[in-house]
Amino acid sequence: MPNLFHLVLQIAVILVAARVVGFLFQKIRQPQVMGEMVAGILLGPSLLGWLAPGVFAALFPAATLGYLNALSQVGLVVFMFVVGLALDPSELHGYGHAAVLTSHVSIVAPFCLGGVTALYLYPRLSDDAVTFTGFALFMGAAMSITAFPVLARILTERGLLRTRMGTMAIACAAVDDVTGWCILAYIVVLVRVTHAARPAWVTMAGSLAYVLVMLFVVRRILPAFERQFRKRDRLSDNLIAVIVVLVLASALATEWLGIHLLFGAFLMGAIMPKTPEFTHYLLHKFESVTVVLLLPLFFAFTGLRTRIGVGGGGAIWWYSAIVIVVAITGKLGGSMFAARLAGTPWREAASLGILMNTRGLMELVILNIGLDIGVISPAMFSIMVLMALVTTFMTTPLLEWVYPTRLFKAPVDEIHKNVA
Amino acid sequence: MGVPVLGLLGILEAGRGIPAPLSVSGDWTLALDPAALCAHGPDGLRQPALNISQSGTQALITLNDGHATTLQATIAGATLTARWLTASIVGKPGARTLEGRMSFDGCAPVAFRAVRQAAKWRGE
Repeated sequence: MPNLFHLVLQIAVILVAARVVGFLFQKIRQPQVMGEMVAGILLGPSLLGWLAPGVFAALFPAATLGYLNALSQVGLVVFMFVVGLALDPSELHGYGHAAVLTSHVSIVAPFCLGGVTALYLYPRLSDDAVTFTGFALFMGAAMSITAFPVLARILTERGLLRTRMGTMAIACAAVDDVTGWCILAYIVVLVRVTHAARPAWVTMAGSLAYVLVMLFVVRRILPAFERQFRKRDRLSDNLIAVIVVLVLASALATEWLGIHLLFGAFLMGAIMPKTPEFTHYLLHKFESVTVVLLLPLFFAFTGLRTRIGVGGGGAIWWYSAIVIVVAITGKLGGSMFAARLAGTPWREAASLGILMNTRGLMELVILNIGLDIGVISPAMFSIMVLMALVTTFMTTPLLEWVYPTRLFKAPVDEIHKNVA
Repeated sequence: MGVPVLGLLGILEAGRGIPAPLSVSGDWTLALDPAALCAHGPDGLRQPALNISQSGTQALITLNDGHATTLQATIAGATLTARWLTASIVGKPGARTLEGRMSFDGCAPVAFRAVRQAAKWRGE
């Protein structure tokens, strides 16, 4: 069983690397997940494959990577369910003009700048199998994403979650997440329909029917789980299994429709009942195995596909610099100026911009989808991964500089009178 | 919202006329006369014999020879050039072929034709 041996060895090495690098990153006040993402890159051709090609080839033979990919995809399906589960639509209400304006601008500004950047990068890093429309829309969507889970973690670790600025950031990120995934679903359909045998109207009509069934049929059944939870303060293993099957069925439906597995998992999480105890219980059930075991595999698989600085010469660094500057300008700058325009003080507006600029692992998820469907090239993928790492890494130190811990004392209750 | 949407439509319209390098990424089945290959040529090639990973005008060709031999290639116009391979890129993206010559050290050039495997060429 040489493949099983390799797979188990790979998982062990990945977990050790993720925990060690995650620990080291925590020491420099970075979120653990940032270290885990970097660990994935370090295990790939960008470092291990470059420093010790023999070890890299022995540890990650190409023939065995299919198993690692499959496991990481299953992990992502569960993770996207968790992301949807943590998303509470009630958080979107009551934050007034500032949050609405900021969230809209924080999508529109980077999206448009991503489109402009595509004019320059398309002839250099793409090819004629990809339409400019698909490439530009994907660039826009990838530039405009905010990592809702990483953002929440940074806010929690810094004790900012219940502050005025923290709650507003969460609300904006939630809007961004939903909008971003809707835009991405459209792009995936657009790109896949171009090459698929299935007529476009089947995908469109099927997607509409799927969303309607989820919102008006499945959503009405789901409170039964919550009622069972209230009776016993827990769910039986059988009921947990039913939830898992529902997640998988939803994921399969969107994959069959030509959207992507992950959209179905996300939507199933988003329509689950949102009472805090029930949500917390499910998050606890699903999060630990996903975060500790399966997500590091996804980071490692992403790292194996990333070739930072490998091939392409100096031009790649130039393109990377352009993408990073554009990404920061659009997201951080756009969010900051929109918040300021809506009357938020400069310091909080800048902090909001910094937080919205966190792309983290949601960006990696989107980039992997883009590479899978062929809308971005391997070099473009690596450049965007580098951008995701830079924008995530810069969040904590920049936030500490702009909005030191001693300043955030305003409680969440003040939010309405201050920003409404 | 109207202004950004109009701006985006303008960008998409402007981008439609931009030419991109011809796509060669994917798996390729290779047709050549084995008798024409000399001792220095690649041995043990199995179909699909080539895998090409492309980023714009840069490409990485991996031979399916059991050793995963790789070579850097560049695309200029309709020509793919690597260390011992020059080929013309022919046809539309969905039905693309490579036609050219392989010139191994110490061997006479060998004509070849490669056809891209349709199902694998764009992550489908």
